[in-house]
Amino acid sequence: MKSSVKLSFCRWDILVIAVIAVSAAVIGWALLTRAAASGDGLTAVITQNGTVLESVDLSSIPEGESQEYTVNGDYTAVVELENSRVCIESSDCPNQDCVHTGWISKAGQSVVCLPNRLVVELTGTSGSDSGVDVVIG
Amino acid sequence: MRHMTTRQLTLCAVLTALALALSYLENLIPLSLLVPLPGVKLGLANIVTVFALYALGPGQALLILIARCLLGAMFAGNLNALLFSLLGGLSAMLVMILLSRSRHLSVYGVSMGGAAAHNCGQVAAAVITLGTAAPAAYLPVLLWISLLTGALTGFVASLLFRAISHTNLMKA
Repeated sequence: MKSSVKLSFCRWDILVIAVIAVSAAVIGWALLTRAAASGDGLTAVITQNGTVLESVDLSSIPEGESQEYTVNGDYTAVVELENSRVCIESSDCPNQDCVHTGWISKAGQSVVCLPNRLVVELTGTSGSDSGVDVVIG
Repeated sequence: MRHMTTRQLTLCAVLTALALALSYLENLIPLSLLVPLPGVKLGLANIVTVFALYALGPGQALLILIARCLLGAMFAGNLNALLFSLLGGLSAMLVMILLSRSRHLSVYGVSMGGAAAHNCGQVAAAVITLGTAAPAAYLPVLLWISLLTGALTGFVASLLFRAISHTNLMKA
């Protein structure tokens, strides 16, 4: 071995942590401001293989009712749309990550199903809610 | 690199096998139930990359990484997974080579930087595969998680280096 390996956590490692944490915060902030700035009304955009299959204005769905949209691809997935939220209700993909993600209700959030190359994304503003409570970075 | 000794070749082969076994093993750990995001993994195979980087140098560490990605995709029968593991692995490799050149950083700093770069590479692969920028929304959470998983792999690597310090493995 060329040089001795430092095996204990040291002060300089904090710099690496800081850089990663700050990048996470900046990216999170940038994504939120971008999502909040884009138009009005919450729209669910369903994309597969980079092609937009369907774009649904969620405010057009009456409160308390729900719509289903079935995506046929490598796997079959059912997207459930409600007045202010959307989720992948069921999918026959192997890992079920998309179903476990659950409901999303704020602009900028998305549900991704990698095996099915399916993305359900929310765009537009979520009414009076600025969405600041979803800062994770 | 040009003249690999039998000892180095053997060590490379053993480490490649170990990395493959570790990537398979981590599929059995249902971390995605805890954090329901596609692509959340412990990155156990990264321990091998960190070890190889210090014990064998960047060239052979890179060889091990590429062999692991190719064989892993072949065993899984999934070409799509190859893009994810290659982009993630190569980004992590590049960042760790650069960070390990600094005499100030410990294995913890190096592997946390590697874990963060791995997640960035995977998100890039997801953006390419899905054809939308939507996966970028996962980046902040994934970067936070990489601090934890990076610290974990750094911890295991430091234990490993301590455990073999009495052998001459590191001078291979």
